[in-house]
Amino acid sequence: MTSMEKRLQKELQAMTKDPPAGVSVNTNSLSSSLSEWIVDIEGAPSTLYEGERFQLGFKFTSRYPFDSPQVMFIGPNIPVHPHVYSNGHICLSILTEDWSPALSVQSVCLSIVSMLSSCKEKKLPPDNAIYVRTCSKDPKKTRWWYHDNSV
Amino acid sequence: MGNCFKSSSNDDISLLRGNDTESNESTIEPPPFVEPPPPYRAQPEPQRRMPIYHPSPGVSRPANQLSEDEQIKIAQRLGLINHLPTGKYDGTNKKAKECVICMNEFLIGEPLRYLPCMHIYHKECIDDWLMRSFTCPSCMEPVDAALLTTYQTN
Repeated sequence: MTSMEKRLQKELQAMTKDPPAGVSVNTNSLSSSLSEWIVDIEGAPSTLYEGERFQLGFKFTSRYPFDSPQVMFIGPNIPVHPHVYSNGHICLSILTEDWSPALSVQSVCLSIVSMLSSCKEKKLPPDNAIYVRTCSKDPKKTRWWYHDNSV
Repeated sequence: MGNCFKSSSNDDISLLRGNDTESNESTIEPPPFVEPPPPYRAQPEPQRRMPIYHPSPGVSRPANQLSEDEQIKIAQRLGLINHLPTGKYDGTNKKAKECVICMNEFLIGEPLRYLPCMHIYHKECIDDWLMRSFTCPSCMEPVDAALLTTYQTN
């Protein structure tokens, strides 16, 4: 087993044994090398997303946890949120330049749930239309485009 | 494999052979029809032969394809990393029991590295990270700033 597989195995064990509130790994979705996961998350109670269910797609390279995972919303329900593009891409710094190998699938999911929870008004990012039309499929690449052009 | 699992008891033979460890003993003799290498050999082996560096986050390049500036930066980084204290886990530290990078518990005798912010990791795990980003994974403290502070107070 590679070090990436070993670590993901540990994370999977911890998350299935003791899942954090509103977060559950879709175990049917796992590939044998664990390089792709789907995680179901639920909007937290008494927030704008209460009762809504979303799916996060995770993709890991062999250099995980030194490289950040690719994380995006997938499936039919993409949350309407100022940091979530309608194609599922998420603008969250821990997914790119603020990534640390001490972070995990669990901490990323909890950050995303808390990002949703702190939302005051459901609206798309201001540059959603042009971003979705021009971005790369890999949100880890398109983040740079976002920074260079909107700052 | 096993960035964090290499014991200090490696003998000379293992150095000659490269990076084989306990579980891939059977693969030393190549099979007659060579398939793509199993995933656990794909990473560590070429790294031993031609070191791969990360001149900026997310960029990985073999040593012979680096610009002069990148080589200087990497050499400086290697020098700084070597200034950070190391040791072996002896089981006496009750606070640090696990390396948060590989999520494995420290085993007696495993090489560790201590960062100025007092966070402790397997030496191999943290060295790999520090070559990409000179920050502590746990507290995000820039290691060079913390290093300077320790020099000034000494």
